Amino acid sequence: MLRDDLIPLEPVALDAPERRTSALLAIDQLGKTFGSGTGQVQALSPTDLYVQEGDFLCVVGPSGCGKTTLLNLVAGFERPSSGQVRLRGQPITGPGAERGVVFQQGALFNWMTVLENVAFGPRACGVNPEAARQRARQLLQMVGLDSFADKYPYQLSGGMQQRVGIARALANEPGILLMDEPFAALDQQTRELLQEEIRNIWRRERKTVLWITHSIDEALFLATHIAVMTARPGRIKAAFRSPFNETEDPLVAATPAFTAAKRQIVELLRGESRQAQAQETAA
Amino acid sequence: MSTNRPEVSAVEALDEDTLHRREDRRDRWLTVGTFASLLGLWAAVTGSGLWEPLIKPLFLPSPVAVWEALLRLIEQGYQGRSLGHHVGVSFQRFATAFSFCVLIGVPLGLLMGMHRPTRAVLEPPIQAIRPIPKLALLPLFLIWFGIGNLSKIVVIAAPVFPLIAISAMQAVRSVSTRKIQAAQALGASAWVVFWRVVLPASLPGIFTGIRVSISLGVTMLVGAELTATSDGIAWMALTAAEYLSTDIVLVGVLIMATMGYSLDRLVRAIETRVVHWSGKD
Repeated sequence: MLRDDLIPLEPVALDAPERRTSALLAIDQLGKTFGSGTGQVQALSPTDLYVQEGDFLCVVGPSGCGKTTLLNLVAGFERPSSGQVRLRGQPITGPGAERGVVFQQGALFNWMTVLENVAFGPRACGVNPEAARQRARQLLQMVGLDSFADKYPYQLSGGMQQRVGIARALANEPGILLMDEPFAALDQQTRELLQEEIRNIWRRERKTVLWITHSIDEALFLATHIAVMTARPGRIKAAFRSPFNETEDPLVAATPAFTAAKRQIVELLRGESRQAQAQETAA
Repeated sequence: MSTNRPEVSAVEALDEDTLHRREDRRDRWLTVGTFASLLGLWAAVTGSGLWEPLIKPLFLPSPVAVWEALLRLIEQGYQGRSLGHHVGVSFQRFATAFSFCVLIGVPLGLLMGMHRPTRAVLEPPIQAIRPIPKLALLPLFLIWFGIGNLSKIVVIAAPVFPLIAISAMQAVRSVSTRKIQAAQALGASAWVVFWRVVLPASLPGIFTGIRVSISLGVTMLVGAELTATSDGIAWMALTAAEYLSTDIVLVGVLIMATMGYSLDRLVRAIETRVVHWSGKD
């Protein structure tokens, strides 16, 4: 690749009001403060963010910057201190089946077989048992685990468990997938393999994804859009379109263009990470 | 495949499963060895009729004497009632108290774990009762519940109930929020979250509470049969002590130990079957 190709990432205003009307997920002035009085901690300062149908948005930021808080608010696990989240215009008031969530680890039900885990969502939503199992089998096939349907989650490797988690989150055909650092606990090889698979699934289904990660490589590889967050109290510092999401090259991470893009984000994040560490030592 | 070649199968034999089986077998022998050594030591210090006892029979009868006492008790009974009757009566008292504790204590503990107001109402009094030595309350129990079986069941249930209820509550409270959130995000109602997630996730903790309280319950038999009764295995041991029949005391003690140990093994067997996922998180 030529030196001239190393154009910087294209900035995009995810909070632009004109994105708001067409947004699948509209986050308006969403803020979260924990505790009260002197122990008060502002985790997320009021943020606007609009996600379009089919977007794959990765949120990167230093640890403790409030990116998981953002996801928890969208998932409905926590209540906002200010602002609101709307999915297809409907305000979010609690957890719901139209938002599939995948956690880092430890969220599978070890007392159910893999098949029962994946069928849990449809069953909870009133689908009859046979149809739910049918759907679960299809999804397990999609993530390559059909032969493990009758095993228990604890009998699977970490990577396989995450596949089950993804299949389970997809089982209700949610409007959006919320992923909270789903691959952070996996080893490098497994992670890369799963990243490719996720991208293939996304290309096929064009599911809208909100993906929290601290890995810039992961964000560049997977996302159509990347939002960079500041240290606490978190807010969106900058957002970009990522051009690498459409590439066929599995080794795209080794290209100069990728490195340049990574550099661009790292430089944005460095000051923030330092600040985050200073906050931690102060606390 | 070359499995029929001995040198190959010898290597294959060292796979993990076989190693585990070997360790299991070794552990079993160690357990058997422990019991055998204790029995041997006991036989040695009491002479067993073969040599001059180091400890006089009045203080510690030999295993042979205890065995003979057991046979005599089986044949003639104790104080007009068969040994089976004494064991049966004690077991019944224990089982009634224990079933009550499990049937009421576990649901109550679950409720305390799920529902904060219930916890706020019930946990402090239950925790406050726990350190009181229940034997000290025995005279009160006799006054309140009479000299029949009820007061005996209450004595056994008094320490067991809080233990089972509190451990069920703790089990619920330590269910990972992630699992609950995952279920909620899959569209599960509060009811489904409880039955399909919170309850199964709490079962390992509940089983631990039950197992711990078995030995406690068996121990409390002694308190229950201390007074106002004329049967039961602990009563047998207690009255035999008054007549310095140490061999009968030991028979009673060993029967209670066997009872507690067997019940623990039974619950453990049920536990490994029901909560196969225990400790796998």
